[in-house]
Amino acid sequence: MKVLIIIPAYNEEENILGVCNNIKKYDENLDYIVINDGSTDDTLKVCKDNKLNCINLISNLGIGGAVQTGYKYAYEKDYDIAIQFDGDGQHDINYIHTICEKIKKNEVDFCIGSRFIDNTSSFKSTFSRRVGIKIISSMLKMFCNIKITDPTSGFRAGNKKVIELFSKCYPTDYPEPESIVFLVNNSIRISEAPVSMNERQSGKSSIYAWKSVYYMIRVSLAIIIDSLTLSKIRRGK
Amino acid sequence: MSDTLKILLILITLIYLFVIIKAVKKRKMHINYSIFWIFTGVVLIVSILIPNFIENISNFLGFEKTSNMVFCIAIFILFYLVLNLTNIVSKQYQQIVKLIQEVSILKADSNKEDNNENK
Repeated sequence: MKVLIIIPAYNEEENILGVCNNIKKYDENLDYIVINDGSTDDTLKVCKDNKLNCINLISNLGIGGAVQTGYKYAYEKDYDIAIQFDGDGQHDINYIHTICEKIKKNEVDFCIGSRFIDNTSSFKSTFSRRVGIKIISSMLKMFCNIKITDPTSGFRAGNKKVIELFSKCYPTDYPEPESIVFLVNNSIRISEAPVSMNERQSGKSSIYAWKSVYYMIRVSLAIIIDSLTLSKIRRGK
Repeated sequence: MSDTLKILLILITLIYLFVIIKAVKKRKMHINYSIFWIFTGVVLIVSILIPNFIENISNFLGFEKTSNMVFCIAIFILFYLVLNLTNIVSKQYQQIVKLIQEVSILKADSNKEDNNENK
């Protein structure tokens, strides 16, 4: 089975080398691809100097566009499983097998690494962040009838079906919760696996404090609108 | 309206039309988008030339004041235009994202081939 790890990186010159080295240390046969999302620091130089497998986006696209590039690459190169993995060292490489397990057994198509299933992860994010996650989670339950404990998790894996879907269509700005709705609409089997996450080693998260209100409105709207089309498709059938 | 004012307004409208047609001719403006602006210019000239043209329409539709109708129509048209522009921008955004992604993947692939040949 060909497995690809997609690592979106925006201004991660300090972390990206460590992340890639960890992957190689963990399993030599794992393929990875760094998507350098038009970084303004030396991320590209670090990638080139250390001969990391890297796609350099000629202009900044944001996290959604970067991750989708990875899925497009996986689709073109005919990978069986694609794993999203943050370039900032937040995700723990040792959980790669946990997240792929059910996909390899063909029990699910898409698996989300969750901090909240059990106590695997000691780091559970800040209080306000957790409230936001709870709200998104209950909205997914309400509108899509699916139980996801960690909808904003960027540690996720998908099989061929998911790779094809995502390479054609992937939401842009704050893509994680939206993409879950998109998958539900396309009747993809989704489950979660417990993973551990670390606090960010350095650099800033893509969600700033003052943007969080906008983030919540934007994500809620996306979930509601997308689930509206879902009911239409069901009626159509 | 005095005749001098009429002539002045028609002159301004003609200049306006001339500017648009020139932009289309120089391929600065896409012909699709020029249709709307040329149409506006023609309507302006007609309403200047035909006496009480706007007033009659306004009375017919039942507006209390002619200016109300003009503002009302103008605002609606502007709303429509901005909405239309938002659609165009969204579509172009998607096209640009796709372009950046495909070009970047191609570039990465060709770099890799170069490296392999050098070895």
